[in-house]
Amino acid sequence: MNRLRLWLLAVGGAGLAVLLVAACLDLPDFGGDRHPYGDRAVHASLLRHTANTVASVNFDQRAYDTLGEMSILFAAVLGCVVLLRQARDEHRAPPEPAEVARPVRRYALLVLPVALVTGLYVIAHGQLSPGGGFQGGVVAATALHLLYLGADYGALERVRPLGLYETTDALAVSAYLVLGLAPVLAGTAFLANTLLPYGTFDTLSSGGTVPLLNAAIGMEVASAAVVLLAHFLDQAVEIEEEHGS
Amino acid sequence: MRHLLPLPVALPLLGAALLVATGRRLPRIAVEIAGFVVSGGTAALTLVLLLDSAPTMTEWVGAWPPAGRESVGILVVGDGPALGMATLASLLTLAALAYSWRYFDAPPHGHTGAFTALMLVFQGAMCGFALAGDLFNAFVFFELMSVVAYALTGYRIDEAKAVQGALTFGIVNSLGAYALLLGIALLYARTGELAMARIGHGLDATGPGGPDALVLASFVLVLTGLLVKAAAVPFHFWLPDAHAVAPTPVCMLLSGVMVELGAYGVWRVYGTVFAGPGGIPAADLTRALVALGALTAVTGAVMCWYQRHIKRLLAYSTVAHTGLFLVGLGVLTPEADGGVALYLLGHAGVKAALFACAGALLDRFGSVDEHSLHGRGRPLRATGVMCAVGALGLAGLPPFGTALGKAVTEEAVGGPLTVVYVAASAITAGAVLRVTARVFLGLGPRPRDAEYETSGSDEEPETTGLLSRIPDTMTTVPAVLLAAALAVGVVPGFGTLVARSVARAGPGGAHAAAHWTAHGVLLGVASAVLAVALAGLAVIRPDWTSAPGWAAPLRRLQSGHVGDYVAWLLVGTTVLGALALPGVLGS
Repeated sequence: MNRLRLWLLAVGGAGLAVLLVAACLDLPDFGGDRHPYGDRAVHASLLRHTANTVASVNFDQRAYDTLGEMSILFAAVLGCVVLLRQARDEHRAPPEPAEVARPVRRYALLVLPVALVTGLYVIAHGQLSPGGGFQGGVVAATALHLLYLGADYGALERVRPLGLYETTDALAVSAYLVLGLAPVLAGTAFLANTLLPYGTFDTLSSGGTVPLLNAAIGMEVASAAVVLLAHFLDQAVEIEEEHGS
Repeated sequence: MRHLLPLPVALPLLGAALLVATGRRLPRIAVEIAGFVVSGGTAALTLVLLLDSAPTMTEWVGAWPPAGRESVGILVVGDGPALGMATLASLLTLAALAYSWRYFDAPPHGHTGAFTALMLVFQGAMCGFALAGDLFNAFVFFELMSVVAYALTGYRIDEAKAVQGALTFGIVNSLGAYALLLGIALLYARTGELAMARIGHGLDATGPGGPDALVLASFVLVLTGLLVKAAAVPFHFWLPDAHAVAPTPVCMLLSGVMVELGAYGVWRVYGTVFAGPGGIPAADLTRALVALGALTAVTGAVMCWYQRHIKRLLAYSTVAHTGLFLVGLGVLTPEADGGVALYLLGHAGVKAALFACAGALLDRFGSVDEHSLHGRGRPLRATGVMCAVGALGLAGLPPFGTALGKAVTEEAVGGPLTVVYVAASAITAGAVLRVTARVFLGLGPRPRDAEYETSGSDEEPETTGLLSRIPDTMTTVPAVLLAAALAVGVVPGFGTLVARSVARAGPGGAHAAAHWTAHGVLLGVASAVLAVALAGLAVIRPDWTSAPGWAAPLRRLQSGHVGDYVAWLLVGTTVLGALALPGVLGS
């Protein structure tokens, strides 16, 4: 079986490689000036006073894709909660407090607030500058975990009431959907960015619903990342197999 | 009305999110009622939209209608097939939720809403995939559908098999998704478009000389992703491993509609993206789909016959039937498309009902092993009767919807391929009848156990402890599903209605009809008779039908080793490329 597997892999891999190389030779040349979608997207983003075109694509022009992506994260977190739950033959043991080297502790506690503020800043300015809910959410969630490095797991658990984060995650998803459904009630398309004024270009309140959707995503991603990491950390740190099983 | 088109996606997702937010404080009964309301409400909405789907509804989500011929928005398409698949997915989700009502294993502590929420997300994802008119958007919902399905498959984490099955499912399907994404990237690089119809126009405009290597590669990659989902040979290995271990209500959805959505995706993407002069010539698609489809049908049927693990057996019968669907879609005629649509509807009802019956055995006896259950099913009369009826439906006995669909497809496909249809449906149905005769009637001697077989005995029931009697929900749901499968064939005019709406959505827009013909009825009866004969032979003379030497290598391919499955996936991609190559070279 081993040899058959290798042969199959060789044949299949070679075929796919030939196909991909041949396809790459037919790709448009590098550095060309024809960007049909890019041109249209920039135009549309300026029309709605959104300075960051990527945010306009994510939360306005293709906000429906973002809904799907957000749901993937939501479902993945829910799936992890279900799959990483405590099995019948496992029990929980509170982790021992661990010694942390003093420089590490100082560094972590110093950087934590900076990282948290950076994360929130990146979320808040999503419609203006590179970044946004997805990126900022991850930064903010990671910031909390500096506590695990700088202190110990118990400290992290105290600032991380999981139930609250799970609820926030779900409420953020609901908020995105409600923002999408509101235009339908008003008689236009799902997720249409037509209800709020577009504001002044390049200010925090510009872009209509873009900042709101962006904020919902930021909230969702931050809570989701915390919950996700928590369940993996629980498996690594707290949950142990029963002895003798 | 068209503004409501994205709602079959949004409503279940909203329901799921609210259930997760409040789930920890709600009692189980409230969660389940909420699940019913949301799922049922969505099903009703899809039905209303379906009745309004002629002429085709389209909606630009985010209110970005095309300026000139260009748009930056996402297109959602509400034609007959799209809304039909969304309705089917919604109704089956409702059935699965009803089936798991109260008796299904207690949800994880502190997450009362988790199972129902996952099922609702699954429903929304399937609706989203069905309605997508934008290739990237279809990919997003393809992924969402997969992620939820992995989690649901591994739901019973106390069983190592379940986790293993979910992992295999996850790895193989993720690779399929990467292939799909790579294909989309190539198409985007060529055309700068993401809406399916616009990509099609773009290919026709930029490739007046016919398809080149890039078009071929994108076609192969996109099809690989969709065929992994559709479990076509040699991309099918994940399916039996996952379906055998997934909780029964989840199996009903996986086998009943998710796998078929892969075939639907092939139909949609080929028809809208690759069917033009700049795409892949029809002859190549026919060669690829008919070859792989026939191979899938034969492999699925043979493997199905030699299973004793009842859920695995049903899983292989799904493989066999998707093969038949792919053959039908491959011939590219509106008649065959209509036939496949009917076949698919009938099959969904029958297969979900059969899984529901298998689940009843599992929860009553803690086993889905044909051998160890020999004669023990006698007290479960209703379940036994439904198993037998379901088997006849699987064989395509008139007047089941499966029979009508199969007859129409056979007529459109014609020639020697009819043999494949009759044989595959008869063998899979024969296997189910054999199980029914042994388990519920205790007929024949108890078959000898072979070495190294997946037996399906010593399984954990999906309920809290073994059931002493089968709850009414677990018998009502399969009965309703079987009645629905029957209704597809019996309700006058329904067949023609489906065939018309599929033909209207196709490229030709031709008229089509689906009627019972003498020829079709005869073939259907022949399949059923053959199935009964095979089952009878197997029960009376178990030695005659035990696995012969030549089937052993085929069975050994299903090794359970993820590496093997990945290697086969690569081989499959290469084979697809080879099958579609002549058209590209010839242009």
